[in-house]
Amino acid sequence: MEFKDYYAVLGVSESATPEEIKKAYRKLARKYHPDVSKEEKADEKFKDVGEAYEVLKDPEKRAEYDQLRKYGARGDGSFEPPPGWQSASGFGGGGFTDADASQFSDFFEEIFGGGRRGGFSGGFSGGGFRQNMRMRGEDVHARLALFLEEAFNGCEKQVSFTVHEADEQGRVIARQKTLKVKIPAGMREGQHIRLKGQGSPGIGGGESGDLFIEIEFAPHPHFTVEGRDVLITVPVAPWEAALGATVTVPTVGSKVNVKVPKGSTSGRKLRLKGKGFPGKHPGDQIVILQVAMPEKHTPEAEKLYEQLAEAEKNFNPRSKLHV
Amino acid sequence: MTRQDQILTVEVVDSEGGTFTLREICERGDCHAEFVIKLVNYGVIAPVEDIPEAGQWQFDVAALSRLRKAMRLQRDLKINLPGLAMSLDLLDEVQEMRREVDRLNRQLRHLLGE
Repeated sequence: MEFKDYYAVLGVSESATPEEIKKAYRKLARKYHPDVSKEEKADEKFKDVGEAYEVLKDPEKRAEYDQLRKYGARGDGSFEPPPGWQSASGFGGGGFTDADASQFSDFFEEIFGGGRRGGFSGGFSGGGFRQNMRMRGEDVHARLALFLEEAFNGCEKQVSFTVHEADEQGRVIARQKTLKVKIPAGMREGQHIRLKGQGSPGIGGGESGDLFIEIEFAPHPHFTVEGRDVLITVPVAPWEAALGATVTVPTVGSKVNVKVPKGSTSGRKLRLKGKGFPGKHPGDQIVILQVAMPEKHTPEAEKLYEQLAEAEKNFNPRSKLHV
Repeated sequence: MTRQDQILTVEVVDSEGGTFTLREICERGDCHAEFVIKLVNYGVIAPVEDIPEAGQWQFDVAALSRLRKAMRLQRDLKINLPGLAMSLDLLDEVQEMRREVDRLNRQLRHLLGE
């Protein structure tokens, strides 16, 4: 078991006052809150910060922790509590706060006792629950990232999540559950799907909770999505834009020929009806033209440009800059 | 119990049906009706249809998701209701802006031929 330095987690010294500890916790809780932060492993960091605060804010737990800290980690960073160690502050046996103890580490559990063995998150305190109680199982909310092509065409995905259930002794334990689910075609970012009865099992014969999955999209190298529409920027040569042309444009999973109207400019949008997200009201694909220049010109092309400059000498591309 | 190799067909709950009454959303969100009513009054969540009687409200799953987020923020960061309403609005805006920045960055990379 790895020793956890709660002072280091909160970035405070051993002699920090309760006020300093609270201040450090509040700052880090805001920084790493999973609903706020985009930092990598924010979820893990937030749990560590919460666990550290749970111990250091409580004078009794802090004193016990300080004692163990002196006893110390081994040279390889691993840690075992002294033989016969038993916490007096006893997290599982009454010291239940509004913290979700099931999220705490093995290290915490070893020192302060069974947060995970005790209360049902947000529900029961102490050891187990009354057998005659009937209660619906918790809903589980999860997120699933899909590639655009998967969302477009539908797919089968494996989803893993944690449910809470009672063991034979009536203690609440966390269990990892994995399901294969069929995602229908045309799912969009932010939409939810529900799997009835696949959340945490009910208690005392109560029905199981549901699993809700919110769809997210992994970024696509070419396409972006706005509502039901799919957008793509397509480069065209200056002569294709000036004279008009038929160009091949990728769609999600296929390609189509698109007529670029004569006299098009950069930023012009062409709408391909019904080529967006499938569904009862399918979206469109929006093609945004972008005039691209060759990196080098042949001497012949340069001559043609000189002729063009002469023919279009009244054109001032910087007229909006008043120069 | 579901076998791991079984493929489950899902129910899409946003577009059609799949709404919850005030009682159901409280049960699923593990909170009191007063809290939900306050969130509605502060504009943090909204019923599908704007009906004055709370007893007739129906909420979609996006509202349930937002309710749970509001509860997490209130529990973890000790935010009061006006602060919660503002935080959630700002978080929505941040998320929207992150998406827009991402989209513009990709557009810029295209323009630069990367």
